[in-house]
Amino acid sequence: MVTPLAVTSKPVTFVEQSLYEVHEKVYPRSVTGVYATWRWLMVWLTQTLFYGLCWLPWNGRQAVLFDLTARKFYIFGLVFWPQDIIYLAVLLIISAYSLFLFTAVGGRLWCGYACPQTVYTEIFLWIERKIEGNRAARIKLDANAMSPRKLLLRVAKYSAWGLLALWTGFTFVGYFTPIKMLWVSVWSFSLGPWEIFWIIFYGSFTYLFAGHLREQVCKYMCPYARFQGVMFDPDTLTITYDATRGEPRGSHKKGESYKAQGKGDCVDCSICVQVCPTGIDIRKGLQYECIGCAACIDACDQVMEKMGTPKGLIRYSTEHAIAAHWGWKEIISHIVRPRVLIYTAILWTIIAAFIWGIATKSTLRVDVIRDRAVLAREVEGGLIENVYRLHVMNASEAAHRYAITVSGLPEINMIGERIIELPPAGDRTFMVQVRVPPDSGKRGSNVIYFEVKAMADETTVIREKATFIQP
Amino acid sequence: MQNILSVLWPSFLVAGIAEGIFFTLIDPQELYLFGEPVHFSSLTTYSIGFFCFWVICAASSMATCYLLHTAQEFKGADQKT
Repeated sequence: MVTPLAVTSKPVTFVEQSLYEVHEKVYPRSVTGVYATWRWLMVWLTQTLFYGLCWLPWNGRQAVLFDLTARKFYIFGLVFWPQDIIYLAVLLIISAYSLFLFTAVGGRLWCGYACPQTVYTEIFLWIERKIEGNRAARIKLDANAMSPRKLLLRVAKYSAWGLLALWTGFTFVGYFTPIKMLWVSVWSFSLGPWEIFWIIFYGSFTYLFAGHLREQVCKYMCPYARFQGVMFDPDTLTITYDATRGEPRGSHKKGESYKAQGKGDCVDCSICVQVCPTGIDIRKGLQYECIGCAACIDACDQVMEKMGTPKGLIRYSTEHAIAAHWGWKEIISHIVRPRVLIYTAILWTIIAAFIWGIATKSTLRVDVIRDRAVLAREVEGGLIENVYRLHVMNASEAAHRYAITVSGLPEINMIGERIIELPPAGDRTFMVQVRVPPDSGKRGSNVIYFEVKAMADETTVIREKATFIQP
Repeated sequence: MQNILSVLWPSFLVAGIAEGIFFTLIDPQELYLFGEPVHFSSLTTYSIGFFCFWVICAASSMATCYLLHTAQEFKGADQKT
């Protein structure tokens, strides 16, 4: 039986409406408590690392330096060349899997505690609070007309933000250009145009993101915020409001038992909304805007303490735990589940492979490139010559002498340097000519081998394949 | 404004990734510009490279934004004039 298609003559109407909501400024109220302390610890830890690590010396050079000009990355005793890109790729995979694992177990731990956006917003908010006062004072100041006092506070705040942002930009560039030289250049006014540009570029982004955009970066710009939901399941720890305990919400009258009035533990003080850096109401349930900072947990716990009700009306919990009234014991027993086990297994396999790779990484690298300009030519004595460019890289912390030999064809001979010396983490590119008699090997391409061997250490040896063209 | 940002922001992210991959594989000192070897400093080449990537990605995002307009919107615009 065929159902005839319904033909409608109703015209399709398009309703035009803005895709964007009007942004309302969020004034986060300051909060203290266990999780706030953790957040500040993470601010100190990450920023001590970021601002400090670039100043750390190591064997007469900067310990962590991504020297783009010389195309070498130094990380303490390790030297990476562009050829070592695989390690960077593996490191990125490890970071991604760690993020998946942490998210599956504890929700947006990264966003709440370690993401630079959260960390810098926290620091910039602290400056704002020190200069302009608490939440109420800031709302009042914003509503007021411009006055000498307001102007002074604004100038002070923006200057403090600007200085911190500039320092952040300077530090960032200091990871790519030796920071001590950069510091000297600043004071002798000899910074290069691109160095100035990148310091200001990175600084402006810090200023704009942490000072002005704040939660909008997480809500509208961050790709991770958009897909983190797929890593959640009903056993993922998230910041949850216990609705069965809290509702129906409302203020408690003194002297009467609120339970007798049929009220829940939530006194509807709205402090959990006021402290939220993204301006959401956690009592509406899990929302994608929630960055998992736990500020509302600290705030609510303080209120619960004052009211004499047990803490944890808002707490880290899971969907299953809230539904079935589980305690911590059951929650922890549900952490071990297939998703977590698979993520953990993959993560540890990659980490193990990565460590093994780094530990057994050769301290010598050789690239052989045939000179493209000359295929093959006849030189004195009727010999056939091919020209090669050798790039020898010493990725160790000591100077080395290397012996270079060539093999693979009868009566093969090499003209050029046979012994080269390289400083620690040094490299050199040079040309060598390889000659064979005209009857050596077959016509066309022949396989030959260059062997570079460290003279002090026989185990450091690299054999590189190349082709020799016999006309 | 929001349209400009939704063009500039994703193209910035992608340009960053493209820049990383491109210059890991290619040494800026080995590039040729109009048949002449590039004689800028490495930092200059990296910086110019980044902005070229950004502009290219932004052009692509812009084209996407433009093509997303429905026929109805164009008709609407015509009727207004």
